[in-house]
Amino acid sequence: MKSFLLKIWGHYVRLTARWPSIGSIVPFIPLIAAWWIVTALQIFPSVFLPGPVEVARSFGNLVYTGVLPEYLQDSMVRLAVGTFWGIALGIPLGILVGLSPRAHTALWPPLLFFQAIGDIAWLPILVIWFGYGLTTMTVIIVYTVIFPVVLNTVLGVRSIPINMHRAALSLGASRARLLWEVVLPGALPNIITGLRNGLGYGWRALIATEIIVGTSGIGFLMFDARRAGSVVEILLGMIILGILWYIVDGWILAPIERATGQRWGLVTR
Amino acid sequence: MKNLVIRNLSKTYFDIYAGTNVTAVHNVSLNVQQGEFVSIVGPSGCGKTTILNMIAGFIPHTGGEILLDGRPVNGPGPDRGVVFQSFALFPWRTVLENVAFGPKMRGVGKCQREKIAHEYLALAKLTEAAGRYPAELSGGMQQRVGVVRALANEPDVLLMDEPFASVDAQTRMTLQEELTRIWQEKRPTVLFITHDVAEAVFLANRVVALSKGRVLEEIEVDLPRPRSWEELNDDARFKELTGRVLQLVRSA
Repeated sequence: MKSFLLKIWGHYVRLTARWPSIGSIVPFIPLIAAWWIVTALQIFPSVFLPGPVEVARSFGNLVYTGVLPEYLQDSMVRLAVGTFWGIALGIPLGILVGLSPRAHTALWPPLLFFQAIGDIAWLPILVIWFGYGLTTMTVIIVYTVIFPVVLNTVLGVRSIPINMHRAALSLGASRARLLWEVVLPGALPNIITGLRNGLGYGWRALIATEIIVGTSGIGFLMFDARRAGSVVEILLGMIILGILWYIVDGWILAPIERATGQRWGLVTR
Repeated sequence: MKNLVIRNLSKTYFDIYAGTNVTAVHNVSLNVQQGEFVSIVGPSGCGKTTILNMIAGFIPHTGGEILLDGRPVNGPGPDRGVVFQSFALFPWRTVLENVAFGPKMRGVGKCQREKIAHEYLALAKLTEAAGRYPAELSGGMQQRVGVVRALANEPDVLLMDEPFASVDAQTRMTLQEELTRIWQEKRPTVLFITHDVAEAVFLANRVVALSKGRVLEEIEVDLPRPRSWEELNDDARFKELTGRVLQLVRSA
């Protein structure tokens, strides 16, 4: 029996080595099965806990009516715009604070202060300033993304050994080229870590913001479903959140990490 | 002639913990002729790395002068190549790109600089490693890259700061022999810092013994080249020279 299981496991390991996407799906099978069994046994009323079949059907309906694709697009665009500005402002700021002791002295305390205020805590005042809309949501996401990016960029810049700067300078690099040749690649593994954290927080902040001030998006879908008493759609929204993050992390962030920090031996696998 | 001239070089800094001025380097004078190999040897804390860092322009000196080819040294520059104990290779660049880095900074075209890099990699028997990243190489191979990266930029003087201190003993001997071979082939001007007396004597034309920031004595090394450990290990003259340097360094 034991050797039989080991044999099956060996096949599975080889299979997922050849098709990694299988390895990212299979672990969910027991989870879905357990969910299905619990609902099929009617332990909880199906109004409170619908089964996978109902959720899948609701998914089909919402795709068919076009609501889900539209909401999904809205959420993704908001996240993308917010992330873009978070990166565009966060990395230069992080490099400045990381390189210049003066900038560090002046900016580090306020950075920590504002980081502590947290995204959602800004919502009341932002609603008064910008109303219910895209501006408020974008500000929240930029705010959420920027801190992990800045703090990790600072850490990355400061962790570059001084001899790396010295080597580049005595090979003839100018101070300006040092930025591109040493500082940016040297800090990149940390920048990606910051980005990963920032995107994770930003994603959560987006959903929370959509629940409170949104008129569309996945967060709005879930909150709207609560109003209509549709637990199916709430569950669907939660599952979509998980899947989307899985995709962003597995298809965008992890490959970048593999191609840079891991390849260079700067982070362990 | 592109000589390195050091006159009454001093370094004094304020120690904030002790609250006093500390003199790390005291009135050091030293000449390195073009094509010469000079070793500075001394125990740790004797100021030898401080001297090298001042010549490289990494830290300012507080007294005396450093002249390269008659011009005073001011900040780091490509006329002084540096080989670091910690290798300091760029992990995000392949071996080839690391060696081609200096020429790239000087504005040499991609084709030409890769040709230069390949030529220097061949000199250190690293042709196979050209496309690999530094993290994929052993310590000995990484430092070979470090040496040819500095050489490929054709500096007026090569400054080496205990470059073989962090590799194992066998590899160190191989690297030392290779360095003497490369030096004979290219005849760069080298200033080599080490705490290892045998290494200093083995490599150099002249050994400068240093202690507590002062030059004790300069000793000419008249051993024939090419040099190998196999021959020098039992060589009477080599033993005599290392014995003298050791005595100087230990007595001070």
